[in-house]
Amino acid sequence: MPDPRLHILGLQKEKRTAWFFVLPALMLVVCVYAYPIITTLVYSVTSIDIATYTIKEFVGFRNFQYIILNEFFSPTLMRTIYFGMMVVVMTILLAIGVSLLINIDFKGNKILRILILLPWAVPPVVSGVMWSQMFQYEYGFVNKIIKIFGGEGDTIWLGSPRLALHVLIITEIWRWLPFATLFIYAALQTIPRSVIEAAALDGAGYLKTVKGVILPIIFPGIIPVAIFLFVSAMKAFDTIFVLTAGGPRSGTTTLNYLVYLQGFQQFKFGRAAASAYILTALILFVIFVMFLLTRIASQRREMND
Amino acid sequence: MIKRTFLTNLIIYLCSALLVIFILSPLYLVAVTSLQLEKDIRSPNLNLIPQYLDFRHYIAIFRPDHIVPVLPAMRNSLIVSTLAALISVLIATPAAYALNRMYFPKSKVILRILISIYILPTLLFIIPLYIAWVNLGLFDTYIGLLILYTTFMLPFTVWVLGSFVKSIPIEIEEAAKIDGATTTQLLTKIMIPLLRPGLFACLIFGFVLSWVEFATPLIFTSEIKMITVSLGLYRSTVDIQIGQLAAAAAIITLPVILITLILQKQIQQVILTGADR
Repeated sequence: MPDPRLHILGLQKEKRTAWFFVLPALMLVVCVYAYPIITTLVYSVTSIDIATYTIKEFVGFRNFQYIILNEFFSPTLMRTIYFGMMVVVMTILLAIGVSLLINIDFKGNKILRILILLPWAVPPVVSGVMWSQMFQYEYGFVNKIIKIFGGEGDTIWLGSPRLALHVLIITEIWRWLPFATLFIYAALQTIPRSVIEAAALDGAGYLKTVKGVILPIIFPGIIPVAIFLFVSAMKAFDTIFVLTAGGPRSGTTTLNYLVYLQGFQQFKFGRAAASAYILTALILFVIFVMFLLTRIASQRREMND
Repeated sequence: MIKRTFLTNLIIYLCSALLVIFILSPLYLVAVTSLQLEKDIRSPNLNLIPQYLDFRHYIAIFRPDHIVPVLPAMRNSLIVSTLAALISVLIATPAAYALNRMYFPKSKVILRILISIYILPTLLFIIPLYIAWVNLGLFDTYIGLLILYTTFMLPFTVWVLGSFVKSIPIEIEEAAKIDGATTTQLLTKIMIPLLRPGLFACLIFGFVLSWVEFATPLIFTSEIKMITVSLGLYRSTVDIQIGQLAAAAAIITLPVILITLILQKQIQQVILTGADR
């Protein structure tokens, strides 16, 4: 196909117009993203005077040193990774299940497809409020239902660090399920119905078809979803803020929430900046590992074929 | 069509029921709570089906002396969300067109950088912005919030509109070029009319994203007159009126739920093209 832009004279002019078109977007991106990224890096090796918001002194890696050597750091890091992994794995498993379900023809599956979108539209603050009411120990649904089934129903869900973390995980799964389902369902629809039916005719049971035919096909589509979910979990803020405010006893303080606490509760901007970079490094590292794993998995599959 | 046994059908409906319960129960709980008297909310008995509907909590939260000014908060959110969605589409459209269809060196790299901004934690940008906003007098202003809302969704909007631009056949542009259209005319007269569904979808999406935004107003505003809906709801958790809290939650969620239900096609389209890399 001939390139319509081959008129050399027009090219220079087109480039100028293109710049003009991109400029407003580029300016905003530079001011709101590029400038702060660099400034945060500078802040991470300085201490900031919070009365005048100016740099007081250069402190080298002392901020990083303080954070990493602090006794709270390694539990926070572990908690953040556990939280992220749980959100990714559980959401994806659930989304695969839901996608398979709505892919089946049955009465009511159209309604299901619309319902599944709802949590996306709920403001995260509201999800936080809703789930904290669900798990409220006195009048929450969860305890009342446990009581109906003969249990004690007096668990103080948000009072224990471990339980609270899992309530938070459930809240995040609920929030991201629509997104993950949309994607995995879209990947699922690329598989021709005849392929699934052929496998069924071969006598393979439904579960066998899922394992042998469907999962390998949708697997490449799952990786970007996993990355997206992990990043979202690493950025989780609103739900933590409303549900638990990082407590009890820091049981739901993830690295991201720690950055907020250091920056906007303690007003230690240098320290917060260093933590923000540690979090960024963690995100990049996990994404790198995920890419590596996909690479290895796809190479294996090629070798098997 | 494969015939299903009774057992298979049973499993299908059981799974569907569990899913519906998981998705709807928190929404249902808040709806019911908002319509019950405080003493019934706190009673130890489970009443899944309310015996009566009482709208007093709704009346209470709209009273001017209520702890959180719900109406002003909704007005603020409506103004900022609408403008942010409009401005981001206005800025993203020419950028998306230029980066996908025009002669622009390194356009692929720029697009990739734009989308990878998303993987960075928001708090990586916030501290210098906070200091800058205080120094520039943008703290506690509509403009300050608008710049942030707009830019936070801009990379995504450019990316999504880019996919819509790419889906328009290049032959249409070529024909217009032969007829002597300038680049600007191509954008305004040819592309924008054809992009209308995409522009509309991005507007809706941007509006919903801004409406639910919480961290930005939390950090960049402090005055009660600048309060937005999400922030207002959080402020009302300080109060212990559970019924009123539920009513406020229902009120701010309802508009976005309605939008999502009515425009689910457009929203699905945006989400799906957005991460289609």
